[in-house]
Amino acid sequence: MTTTESGTVAPGDVAAETEPEASPLVVRDLTAAYRGEPVLRCVNLALPEGRLIGLIGPNGAGKSTLLKAVLGLVPVLSGEVLVFGMPYRKRRRLVGYVPQRESVDWDFPTDALDVVVMGLYGRLGWFRRPGKKEREIAMECLEKVGMAAYADRQIGQLSGGQQQRVFLARALAQDARLYLMDEPFAGVDAATEKAIVGLLGELKSRGKTVVVVHHDLSTVRDYFDWVVLLNREVVAAGPTDEVFRPELLQRTYGGRLAVFRENGAPTRAEG
Amino acid sequence: MPLSDVWSDPNVRWVLLGCMLLGLSGGVIGSFTYIRRQSLTGDVLAHAALPGVCLAYMAIGAKSVWAFVVGAALAGWAAVLCVGLLVRRSRLKADTALAAALSVFFAFGVVLLTFIQRGEGGNVSGLDAFLFGQAATMTAGDVRAMATLSAVVLAAGVLFFKEFKLTGFDPEFARSIGFSAGRIDALLMSLVVVTVVAGIQAVGVVLMSAFLIAPAVAARCWTERFGRMVALAGVFGAVSGWAGGYAGTFSHQLPTGALAVLAASALFVLSLLFSPRCGLLARAVRRFVQRRMTRAEFRRAAVGVKKP
Amino acid sequence: MGVWRAWKTVALLAWAAVLSACSASGAAPGGATVGDRPIRATATTGMIADLVRRVGGDRVEVTALMRPGVDPHLYKASQGDLRRLERADVVFYNGLYLEGKMEKILESLGRRKAVVAVTRDIGPDRLLRVQGIGDKAQYDPHVWFDVRLWMIALDTVREELTRLDPAHADVYRRNAEAYRAELEALDRYARLRIASVPKERRVLVTAHDAFQYFGRAYDIEVRGLQGVSTAAETGTKDVTDLRDMLVRRGIKAVFVETSVPEDRIRAVIEGAAELGHRVVLGGSLYSDSTGPEGTPEGTYVGMFRHNVDAIVDALK
Repeated sequence: MTTTESGTVAPGDVAAETEPEASPLVVRDLTAAYRGEPVLRCVNLALPEGRLIGLIGPNGAGKSTLLKAVLGLVPVLSGEVLVFGMPYRKRRRLVGYVPQRESVDWDFPTDALDVVVMGLYGRLGWFRRPGKKEREIAMECLEKVGMAAYADRQIGQLSGGQQQRVFLARALAQDARLYLMDEPFAGVDAATEKAIVGLLGELKSRGKTVVVVHHDLSTVRDYFDWVVLLNREVVAAGPTDEVFRPELLQRTYGGRLAVFRENGAPTRAEG
Repeated sequence: MPLSDVWSDPNVRWVLLGCMLLGLSGGVIGSFTYIRRQSLTGDVLAHAALPGVCLAYMAIGAKSVWAFVVGAALAGWAAVLCVGLLVRRSRLKADTALAAALSVFFAFGVVLLTFIQRGEGGNVSGLDAFLFGQAATMTAGDVRAMATLSAVVLAAGVLFFKEFKLTGFDPEFARSIGFSAGRIDALLMSLVVVTVVAGIQAVGVVLMSAFLIAPAVAARCWTERFGRMVALAGVFGAVSGWAGGYAGTFSHQLPTGALAVLAASALFVLSLLFSPRCGLLARAVRRFVQRRMTRAEFRRAAVGVKKP
Repeated sequence: MGVWRAWKTVALLAWAAVLSACSASGAAPGGATVGDRPIRATATTGMIADLVRRVGGDRVEVTALMRPGVDPHLYKASQGDLRRLERADVVFYNGLYLEGKMEKILESLGRRKAVVAVTRDIGPDRLLRVQGIGDKAQYDPHVWFDVRLWMIALDTVREELTRLDPAHADVYRRNAEAYRAELEALDRYARLRIASVPKERRVLVTAHDAFQYFGRAYDIEVRGLQGVSTAAETGTKDVTDLRDMLVRRGIKAVFVETSVPEDRIRAVIEGAAELGHRVVLGGSLYSDSTGPEGTPEGTYVGMFRHNVDAIVDALK
């Protein structure tokens, strides 16, 4: 008998107990809009568990929108999304989210530790206040991303890379089985990049599934073992070796694409 | 009036307590709206309360705090709905729509007020005092009503503290873990309405928004921790209320509400000048120190170059 | 957008402004001779309306602008009022800044028709001075609380009606005489009843300072919470000073007014109670307006008598 992450059996999870392991994320015929414009058209996906999955595509392809549609942050016009076999509402505890850095008010009076503690709010539910235990967990997560020394620094005073790491720590605190990350590598320094990569490796070794919206083609092979090529609809999805090929990339990026190779492998694309 | 007599004089005591409670709730709730960048919405709710209160009076025929809360809430809700419609259906930006709603609802309130005053027995209502407040004539009953409302507001602030913080900082993340920003917004706006009705007698509708903004902004200048900011804003608000009430004991026909707002503004200006975070003084000092340090470094570097 | 559209908008707005100005000035002024039809008179307060009605009788159609319970210090004229003022052959108002917010309108109206302050014939030596702003002399406008002064106003009204309608001078004289007799009786009544209250208890405390003339005429001490105009704000010191006086002098009753909110004086009463001194509400007085129309208190004499009775009964 399997138990859920937090160690207790929640009523909504009973079905998952008796079924064979459901895929972490199944998307069927999803059509979703962003700011009133339909962006995703009939998207179909079934992701395997325990992989580091790169979500690749040109600007405006709907990569962020896909993540947001899964989380219920944008309206779903048709189709359905299942997280471990159930609608997202019932699986919140199992999903961790690292949003893009722009969506946040950085002038807010809060420090790095406080932000990580916010990741635990879902577990606390309404009314309950975070206490010593929550702060300890948050501190551990900060250590994992190398930000323990900045725990009481106001977040606006951190660099871009440091902020990104705090966000990651917050997602870690959520202690999920599926992680959705929106451009975590965007605009970060080398040290942060290394830290994130290390973290991804650790997550994978613990059997977590991570979906990462990623823009830098030259690093896809190094970071991800599964890839989804997206341009408003799924062009291809599968293990990196099978899917991350020039022909499929051309199709994804709409033809006007210059692919730079290094030792036969695509390293950069410009469209 | 000498300070020592202040608490033994019943009327002065009531005025001080009333104004302090008002300042306290205003500061606390104002902090929540300020960090969510919704201070203007708070202002709209304060001004929209006027027609709501007038309509409640016209419906009931008497002054009742609870009827006023209902009236103000309905009017505030209507105002927010109008703003939403304006933003969605026209090309107006949010702050333009808010300013428009504020003016229109307030004007409607003034018309209703005049209508009530011209009616038979109209002046007995004393509703005109709701524009600028009349703190001096507060009684023990008024203070009790205010205390109840303030207690509700403060309790809600404590209870939902982390929810307000979360949805203010990262509303998307909040939604993803199940805390609907929309519901929290509605809750906060309701608390603003209750605070406004509580304070309407002391400072009136026009000045109320000052209490929702000034103490919070002043507190922000002194700390980076949200919890401390809220507490400090409450203190600033209470002190301003107390100062206004006390100043009113010195001479005849002094408008207590306006004096309290002046006190709050003074605290605000002092914070702007002298606080370590926003302080203009602090910033000037820092720049001066930095310039000296840089000059010293250049000098050292130049000397280094000159060395053979 | 274009310059042409901008100009069209400006022209439209200007035209609208002109139109509204025209409508404000109303139809043809009623300055023509009255002849046989009744005189149309518009009065501001109910007391003045009552006065004009008594002197004019059937010859005059009187409209009062301010309904009972309305505060003349704060009253602002509406569009409907402007029409009523325009239609009138003569406008009677109190003057001495009682109708503080209507001064401009009455002034401009006075240039085109008969606008009469019923207090105009009361000499400054008989008026009470009041703390004004600057060095401009300001007087307490509540003259109707001294019946003798109101009799001077009676003469003013009679004069004006006679001037407008000389044909019926006799009627006006007869009405005025009859009413004067009533006022004399009222004056005597007030004097006698007030005198029956023992001197040390003869203190009238009200929400605002409307009764100074009353106090002077009938030998009763008068104190108000607010100053002469209700438009001024009540401060904490005003409340505490009045309360301390009540406690110090052992005054047992205070009065509210029908046109001023009760909660102001209530704070004084409750404060006194906290300090151990019980003060009752002696009743509601008609200060700046008459009682409801159709009741005895809807007339000047009626409201005056009511006030006197309420005061005396509570203080004795």
